[in-house]
Amino acid sequence: MDIAVCVKQVPVSNDVSVDPVTHSLVRDSAESMLNPADANALEEAVALRERYDGQVIAFTMGPPSAEKALRAALAMGADDAVLITDRAFAGADTVATARVLAESLRRYGVFDLVITGSESSDGATGQVGPMLAEFLAWPHLTEVRRIEAVETGRLRGLKKFKNGFLRAAVTLPAVLTVSYGCNEPRLPTFLSQISANKKSVPAYTNKELGLSPGAVGLAGSPTEVIDTFAPERRKRAELLSGTPEEIAGKILALIEKKRGKDNG
Amino acid sequence: MKKLRVGIIGGGISGTALGYHLSLYGNAEVVLFEKNAIGCGTTSKSAGTVCLFDDSLRNRYWDVRLYGFESYLKMEREEKGSTGFDKTGTLVAVTSEEVEATVETGIALAKAAGYQGEYITDKDRIKKILPLIDVENILGAGYTQDDGYFDGTMISNTYARKMQQKGGVVYTMTPVVEIVVSGGKAAGVKTAGGTMHLFDRVVDCTGPWSRFTGKMAGLDVPIWHTKAEAFFLSPPGKKLNYVFPVLKYPAFYALRAGDNIFICKSHLSMDLDNPMHAGQWDPDKLPATGGTDDYFIEFLFEQMQKSVPGLVASGLVSSWLSYRAEPRDFLPLLGETPIDGYILATGYGGNGIIEAPAASRDLAKFIMRGESTPLLEDWAFKRLWGKERS
Repeated sequence: MDIAVCVKQVPVSNDVSVDPVTHSLVRDSAESMLNPADANALEEAVALRERYDGQVIAFTMGPPSAEKALRAALAMGADDAVLITDRAFAGADTVATARVLAESLRRYGVFDLVITGSESSDGATGQVGPMLAEFLAWPHLTEVRRIEAVETGRLRGLKKFKNGFLRAAVTLPAVLTVSYGCNEPRLPTFLSQISANKKSVPAYTNKELGLSPGAVGLAGSPTEVIDTFAPERRKRAELLSGTPEEIAGKILALIEKKRGKDNG
Repeated sequence: MKKLRVGIIGGGISGTALGYHLSLYGNAEVVLFEKNAIGCGTTSKSAGTVCLFDDSLRNRYWDVRLYGFESYLKMEREEKGSTGFDKTGTLVAVTSEEVEATVETGIALAKAAGYQGEYITDKDRIKKILPLIDVENILGAGYTQDDGYFDGTMISNTYARKMQQKGGVVYTMTPVVEIVVSGGKAAGVKTAGGTMHLFDRVVDCTGPWSRFTGKMAGLDVPIWHTKAEAFFLSPPGKKLNYVFPVLKYPAFYALRAGDNIFICKSHLSMDLDNPMHAGQWDPDKLPATGGTDDYFIEFLFEQMQKSVPGLVASGLVSSWLSYRAEPRDFLPLLGETPIDGYILATGYGGNGIIEAPAASRDLAKFIMRGESTPLLEDWAFKRLWGKERS
């Protein structure tokens, strides 16, 4: 079973800045890591490979520094990785991103399954997975919590649905998005990390993909971000200092004040 | 009684330990400035090992080690949890006859001070203490049961609190942006908020930032940075069902961190002329986590294969990079500088948690009474005047 896993490099902290002109996240402004839900996607993929053989290939679209996310994916067990990078891809919305990912998967080879995290911890749109399925013309299942079985060309899983779960099946090839926390991603080991660091990671630019300049990056993005702003922080932490007895007294006073406010 | 006004720049282990020791003098008026939170810089990334014997500090400075260890035990007795002490014991692998001699002396010193200690050559016993170790490549191991590691951030906060209880003032989130030097004498500091504070003495306790701090006073502080690249491992099976001791080899050390193992290349095995090991960088650019080099992963992997093969299959949970502040001779920089009233308490390298209590005790005495000590003379900044050029 050959599986593609689409991953994304995201900022470690939520404290990222926003470009005042383009309203896009300034991703260089923070430390980065592999998107947490994508780590869950990788874990599902590697576990499936262990059961059904095949290969797991990680893909990411981003600046050259996004290679770090691919190294993390390789250290977790991906067999190979592809960096999709070109200045022409900059400013892509979810549609342009999904289009480029779909073209990259086609260029790489034939897959039985694509898995990705249900959403990224920065953009959190949850759209790229389903859009990728549309561009590939494959069925998809979103927010999968558990893959239960793969048999006779169909995959059965449990997905989040409203306040409960839905057991559903898709015909392969298909796209799955998996929820953050649906499994415990394996850790890289010394050996897998060293081997990942040494592995060659090919890069696809638009020269390889041959997409029309109007179909990628900002030009290929129908979404217009009108404004981006940080939520207003209404709750502020108050630091209590003093001896344990003094702090306990202050906590009691706060509780009583709150109770009085609620009662009044 | 005329008070001596002392301004301390830096709220890590160096600044807080000095602040506390100064505050013990009735005529000291101590103000500490920390640009962030107490103990949140290099101190927070310290392994905090304060072992009764190991190669981190020569046996020549045994009293420094003992004073540090017992200061923290006293703190812990006074307020449980105030130092984060984890009494795991220490196992030092003896890889050569030279190490053997050092370890045997260290064990004798620990025993003379009333602590448990032994040099073990029975390899089955060593395996019993640490099942993951390979005993084939070692002659034996020194073992003390009464020590372990501490939490530098907790200790710094405890020192800061004790200093405040004695009238000292601590400003956090208050960067010093200017050191006022007037007529060749340090006269005060200016903070980012624009406030001027006048002092009789200004002490640089900024460790890896000392080169930048010194520049504000017009002083070249010969500090290099060695990389402290720490990796946190989840051992096979994920849970340790025994007490993993502080483990020391000449080239690396390891200790437990909850259910994980912290490993790092030892600072004395760093080469200041190797650009992978050392350089002069900006500690403000250090990421909170990550930032490590493949070189150290490979180096530690080789060490694990050779020495602790049971850890080779561990998962890599996380890592961080920190900078140690190292003069070229790996000894701290204490005391007077060519600028009158400008004093250094920096360059502790990887040993700040061990050395700061004794060094601060002596430095406080020097600042308040003008009396030097053999330790201050050994570690005096004066030893490098005219010899170091960056």
